[in-house]
Amino acid sequence: MLHSKLLRRGLASLVMAVGLAFGAAQSWAEEIRVLNWQGYGTDEAWSLELFTEKTGIDVVHDYFNSEQEMLTKLRTNPGAYDVVLINSAYTKQAADEGLIQAIDTSGMKNVADLSPGMRDNENLAPGGTTYGVAWLWGVTSFAVNTNDFSEMPQSIEELWDPKHAGRVGWRDDAIEAVMFAAIATGQDINNPSDFVVIRDKLRALKPQIRTFWSSEDEWNQFMSANEFDLATYWSGSASRSKTAFGLPVEFVIPKEGAIGWLDGLSVATDAPNPEGAKAFIDWMIDPEFYVTWDTEVGAPASANAKANAELPETAFNRAVLGDPEKVATLQFMGPMDEELRQKILELWQETKTYLQE
Amino acid sequence: MSRRGTALARAGRVYMAAVLLFLYVPIVVMAVMSFNASKLYRLPVDWSFTWYTALASNDKLISAGLNSVWVAVVTTVIATILGTAASLAFFRYDFRGKRLLQILLFPPIAIPWLIIGTAMLVFFFWIGVGRGLHAMVLGHVALALPYVIVVVTARLRSFDPHLEEAARSLGASSWQATRRVTLPWIAPGMVAAALFAFAVSFDQFVISYFLSSPGVSTLPVEIYTSIRKGFTPEINAASTIVILVSMALLLGVARFYRFGGER
Amino acid sequence: MQSATVDAPRISGRRLRAIAGLTGPAYFWLALTVFLPLSAMFYFSFLSDVPFGKRVAVLTLENYAAFFEKEFYRTLMLRSFRLGAEVTFYCFLFGFPCAYLLAKTIKGRWREALFLLVILPFWSNALVRIFSWTMVLRGNGVLERLVNWIVPDYGPLNLMFTYPAIVVGLVHSYLPYMILTCYISLEAIDDSLIEAARSLGARRLTVLRRLVLPLALPGILAGAILIFVPVVGSFMEPRILGGRQGTFIGTIIEDQFTAVFNWPLGAALSFLMLGFVLLILLVVVPLARRAT
Repeated sequence: MLHSKLLRRGLASLVMAVGLAFGAAQSWAEEIRVLNWQGYGTDEAWSLELFTEKTGIDVVHDYFNSEQEMLTKLRTNPGAYDVVLINSAYTKQAADEGLIQAIDTSGMKNVADLSPGMRDNENLAPGGTTYGVAWLWGVTSFAVNTNDFSEMPQSIEELWDPKHAGRVGWRDDAIEAVMFAAIATGQDINNPSDFVVIRDKLRALKPQIRTFWSSEDEWNQFMSANEFDLATYWSGSASRSKTAFGLPVEFVIPKEGAIGWLDGLSVATDAPNPEGAKAFIDWMIDPEFYVTWDTEVGAPASANAKANAELPETAFNRAVLGDPEKVATLQFMGPMDEELRQKILELWQETKTYLQE
Repeated sequence: MSRRGTALARAGRVYMAAVLLFLYVPIVVMAVMSFNASKLYRLPVDWSFTWYTALASNDKLISAGLNSVWVAVVTTVIATILGTAASLAFFRYDFRGKRLLQILLFPPIAIPWLIIGTAMLVFFFWIGVGRGLHAMVLGHVALALPYVIVVVTARLRSFDPHLEEAARSLGASSWQATRRVTLPWIAPGMVAAALFAFAVSFDQFVISYFLSSPGVSTLPVEIYTSIRKGFTPEINAASTIVILVSMALLLGVARFYRFGGER
Repeated sequence: MQSATVDAPRISGRRLRAIAGLTGPAYFWLALTVFLPLSAMFYFSFLSDVPFGKRVAVLTLENYAAFFEKEFYRTLMLRSFRLGAEVTFYCFLFGFPCAYLLAKTIKGRWREALFLLVILPFWSNALVRIFSWTMVLRGNGVLERLVNWIVPDYGPLNLMFTYPAIVVGLVHSYLPYMILTCYISLEAIDDSLIEAARSLGARRLTVLRRLVLPLALPGILAGAILIFVPVVGSFMEPRILGGRQGTFIGTIIEDQFTAVFNWPLGAALSFLMLGFVLLILLVVVPLARRAT
């Protein structure tokens, strides 16, 4: 009969597929599996070569495109990952859900060099138990096209200035958008008190926004095509746009402050190779890795004070983010409960609907 | 042909060319940009082979490309066969629940991939299928099936069932009648369906992305995961090669086999 | 739905076996990989939280109620349906003549070659294609340069980040579906039928309306469905090409999975969308059948 023959053939292909998948997964060398954003430090080819040379451990990557996805991948793949990058605002949640394990940092030689404030950050080490090793930190604020500005703006209000109507780039991200409005209206970014004020502030963006951007590459292209006077951006990316792409941009930390964020590296629960994971994390916070990464490629600031100090004096991460006065104005992203996140998302979605009317 | 007819035929050719031009605008742009040394896709083009040399040493992208082809081919074969069989059943028989089965084809197309992908990830985890190329094939076939069934059914609508009946009355077995009469008639539909299935699988990024295991990926997954950083023109170079190779392959096949069902 | 019933008088046992044998494999596959996972999602859409780990979930209708309580959900749903209808219409408008030319006037090797050329763009990645469109449509992009080269000092086109930009990108992505499905229906129409009608004095337009369109209807409808249904839920193309104009129900649903951990609401919104899509198809498809 037709179908049985076809079914058999189909099944044979299926068996082949299974075989191939297993064949590909099998590997003789010791390996660790890393879950991260693509192109965010851990997967730099030259660094992995060095790491494998030093330790004999191969590094395999899997990626996520949003924090929620990262959590879902951890939830549905126990035992699949060793190292995972988690924004410190989510570390406690991941630990509470049992997705990551406590890290004994005693054998890691670079941990001692971490800035104490970041190493012992309450979000990464709740109750003094380290769940995430502080790795990188940076600022979310805005960058300007220096061709359009004779002097650097000092205020976040520049984003709302009618001078730049239709010339502002904005990232389509609910939490970030609301945090910007919170800073502009003098509120706590992690727990804004007056949502009506925030809503009106966001609605006032209507004449301003040229478009939403979603990737660094898009940002660079829009800037290069002269679509923006100024646009919200990340500090690490701004230095990359400047050094690697030669774009005329300057990152601004306004007097009202900006959003600070801290990323940590964690070890997944049931990690097949926790020792390898720790060795890799130790390599990631090593000045040897970081300095090359920042100078050759461009990176956010390192949580390792020693590593930052080894940067060239003009480097943004040393010159600006090394300035304690600037850093004092930052509000760091903290954990949020899901109810608040949902409220923020709805506010942003409603605003976007209003923006396109 | 009348003069009016010739004029119409000429207009037709111009129209066809215009549609093809529209379809190929982004493809040509993609190909040109793969030769542009500027990472920011700046104009005018700064001609160079940089991205092709980079691609040649990018084992990850190459193996991802080969995985894509493999998954797409297996998906195409399975989906075309299973889908055609189901379409034949819908065509030949009236039965209770047929309407329901047909309506059930819509959810896989209508529900956003992201949700299907998440649901598959969770479900495959529960039942122990896990992730990897095998899981991708499972998912891709399911996504391609509705397309195959809709396309083959549309073709079958034009088939005269009495032809099958006639063959049977001349002594052909049910299977013979299917093979000798029905299948040749729906062949163009099946070819179109297979091409759809291939495209659906080859292009699928969200579901593949959820179902790929660490270290194993396909071309679209590589592209999708680089969306936050943005992809390098290497991706353009890879896509250009894919298009050129498949164009050569398909046109080569077309020399020996007539897809159009010429009468 | 009309259907041939060749085997109707046969013994039902054999008939049943044949039906099960032909549809079984496909639907078993679909059940395992799509229906069961989606049923889980459907179940989630009635929960207050995702039942993972220690989370407590209770049954609720809140997620569905949210759609009716908040006006912007409805606004965006309508917008998505409008987008779906417009894209489908343009695909038909441009695709049908193309399919007709392919099936009826172009013969021989050219036909195969053109047929394949129509499908090939599909084999490049959708994301790459959309990014290519951004290069064409954006300020100082390919199109703007071309227009200004033909008409000097035409100035900026301002196409990027507009609703039309989304439509262009989507029509491009889905046009081959319409051409293909129309082609396979048109190709099945016997040429002698058309010739006979012409020789009886029917005008071209009459032949088209009274003969060709009704016979090609299954293909047109198949194409329309394959375009309309996914476009309503699209999120990637609007997001990249539409900029500020790029918020649709598909992007809202996506957010429930990426920005927050609210699968129940995301699932509820997608099943509502699916429900409306099916409703529209149930009304429009029979109407179209009757009209031709």
